[in-house]
Amino acid sequence: MSNKRKAQDFLLQFWTYFAAFFSFATLSLIIFFIFTNGVKLLNLDLITHDYQAKTHIAEPLAPNDTDYFEPEETLKAEVYYSPRWGLGLIDSIDLMGKTQVEIAYVHPSSPFQQLHDKGLSHELLSLKPDMMIIRIAYSDQPSSLARYGAERMIDELALSNQIRELEFTIPGGGIRGSIITTFYLIVFSLLFALPIGIGAAIYLNEYAKNNRFTRLLRSFIELLTGVPSIIYGLMGLAFFVPFIINVSSATSGSILSGSMTMAVILLPVVIRTTEESLKVVPDEYRQGSLALGASKTQTTFRIVLPGAFPGVLSATLLAIGRIIGESAALVFAIGTAIKDDIRVTEQSTSLAVHIWAMMTDEPANIELSSTIAIIILLIVLLLNLLIKLLTRRFLRKVSAPR
Amino acid sequence: MTAQNPIVFQIENLNLFYGEKQALKEISIAIYEKEVTALIGPSGCGKSTFLRVLNRMNDLIDSCHITGNVTYHDQDIYQPKTDVNGLRKSVGMVFQKPNPFPMSILDNLIYGPKCQGIRDRFLLKQIVEQSLKQAALWDEVKDRLKESALALSGGQQQRLCIARTIAMKPEVILMDEPTSALDPVATAKIEDLISSLKQDYTIIIVTHNMQQAARISDKTAFFLMGELIEYGDANQLFSTPENKKTEEYITGRFG
Repeated sequence: MSNKRKAQDFLLQFWTYFAAFFSFATLSLIIFFIFTNGVKLLNLDLITHDYQAKTHIAEPLAPNDTDYFEPEETLKAEVYYSPRWGLGLIDSIDLMGKTQVEIAYVHPSSPFQQLHDKGLSHELLSLKPDMMIIRIAYSDQPSSLARYGAERMIDELALSNQIRELEFTIPGGGIRGSIITTFYLIVFSLLFALPIGIGAAIYLNEYAKNNRFTRLLRSFIELLTGVPSIIYGLMGLAFFVPFIINVSSATSGSILSGSMTMAVILLPVVIRTTEESLKVVPDEYRQGSLALGASKTQTTFRIVLPGAFPGVLSATLLAIGRIIGESAALVFAIGTAIKDDIRVTEQSTSLAVHIWAMMTDEPANIELSSTIAIIILLIVLLLNLLIKLLTRRFLRKVSAPR
Repeated sequence: MTAQNPIVFQIENLNLFYGEKQALKEISIAIYEKEVTALIGPSGCGKSTFLRVLNRMNDLIDSCHITGNVTYHDQDIYQPKTDVNGLRKSVGMVFQKPNPFPMSILDNLIYGPKCQGIRDRFLLKQIVEQSLKQAALWDEVKDRLKESALALSGGQQQRLCIARTIAMKPEVILMDEPTSALDPVATAKIEDLISSLKQDYTIIIVTHNMQQAARISDKTAFFLMGELIEYGDANQLFSTPENKKTEEYITGRFG
C-alpha cells in the first residue's frame, strides 16, 4: 500500500516538474527562434526608416575654393572620401546584385548638408549615411553614374566645381510607420475602451442589484471574451469603417475604425479586470465614506475607484498587450497597406499586421518578421516595467512604509 | 434627580428584519443629548444592528427592512424624503476596525468636508487642526500630516477616525466597539477621549467590555436576542439591575 502511494506521489510530482520545465523550454525556444532569425536585421535604421524607398533630385550649394573638410572620425579603408566636398562613399550591392554607391560619411559642414529639393516639395534635404547616390550631374563636365562605382564618382566629384543636380535614394524597408501606427492604435483604443470599460465595471460592482438582468449582462461579457477576434474584425468592417468614412475624410479602413474595433475587443477584458479590482477594495472604506455623509457616487469615485487603481493599471496593461498582438481583426478594420505618412483617418499597419504582410509576401520574409517580433517583445517588456513602476509608486504613496 | 437632558433619538416599537429573520424586536428607547449611552449584550444580540438604525447604515443591506418609529429631533428618519447623507453628516460613526482611507492623514480629515463642498483652504486647515486637537491626536501627527494614514498605529488610526468624524461637526457620534481591536493603553486613551467629547457630542457606544460601559457611560441599555431587556442609569443598572437576566449577564453568569 505504502509502495503504491510512493509511486503515485512520485508520478504526480514528476508530472509537475516536467510540466514546468516543458513550459519554460517552449517559451525559451520561441524567443531563441525569434532572436536567431531577427537579430541580424535589428538596428536603429530599421526603426527610423520609411517603408517606401524615396528618390530625390536636389541641388547643393557650391563649395568655396578654400574648403577642406577633414573627416571627424576615422573612416573605414574601403571608404572613398573627398575632403573638398566632405563626402565619403562606399561600394555596395543591391538586392538584385547591381552595383550601387552608398553614402558612408557626410561631414557636418559639408555642402551636402543643405540641398535644395528640385521636386515639388522645395524642402531642404541633407545627405545621410545609408542613402544611395544614383547620379551626379555637373555644370562643367559629364555626369557620374552609380554603376561605375564609388571610386570613380569621388574622382569626378573632386574635379568639379559646381553640381547641377544630384539624384539619390533614401532606402526603404523601415518600420517607422508601423511603430507610429501601433502607438496611435494603443492611445485611441484605450481612449475608447477604458472610460467605457471602467464605467461598466463600476456599474456592475457598485450600483447593479444582483438580479437576473445583471447576471445576464455578466454572462454576456464573459461570452464576449471568448469570441474570436476575426468576428470583431467583421463587425468593425461592417459598422465602424462605414461610420468613420461617414464622419471624416476617410475613404477606407482607418486607424480610428481600427481603434474602435479594438476597443470593443478590449471591453470584456477591461470590465472583468476592473471589476475584480473593485471587489477587493475593502467594504470598510465604503462604509467609512458613507458614514461621513458622502454620497454613494462620491464614495465610488473618490474612495473606491482610487483604491482599485492598481487593478485598473493591470487592466490597461492587458489591454495594451492585446492591442499590440492583434492582427486578424485589424486586417479588416484598418487594412494592410504599409504607410510611412501616418494619418488617423487613413489605412496603415500595426507591427503585428506588418508581420502578417511580410509573411504573406512571396517569398515570406521570416527574418524581418522576427526582427519586428523582437521589437514587439521589447515594447511589451518596456510597458510592463512602466506599469509595475507606476503601481509600486502608487502603493508606496498610500500604504505604510515598511 | 437632576434635570433630564433633551431627547435626541426617540425610538418606538422598532422591529428590524434581515429577510425573514427578525433581528430587533419591539425596541422602544430614548437617547438623551450630551450623554454617553452604552449598548451592551452578548454577540448577535442586535446592539450593532440597532446602532446602524440610527444613521441608516442598514440601508446598505438589501434584505433589511424595519417597522416602527425612529425620530431624530422629532423628525422621522425613515420617511422617504429624508436626506440620508445629511443625517449621516450629523450622526457620525466610528467603526470596530479602524478604517482610515488609504491616503494621507490630511486627506482623510478633509475628505468629508470636501464632499460637502467646502473648498476654502483656510477653513479646511482650521477644521483639520480643530478636529485633531479635539481627538487628542494633534501633538502626535501635526508634523506628518502629509504621511499615509496607514502608517499610524492602531490606536492613532482609531483616533484619526474619530477626528474624521468630528471634522463633519456632527451632533451624535455612534461608536461600534471602537476599542475592541486595540491594546489596553490605546483603549484607555480612547476612553479618556470619549469622556471629554461628551461635553460637545451625544455619544452612543456599543461595547463588549462591561467595565468599559460602567466606566464611561451615563446610561446603559442591555440587549438580548434582539430585545431591549433593561435601560437606565449606568450606576443603577450595574449596581442594582431590575431584571434577572441583566444581573446574570453583568455578573458574568452567561454571555
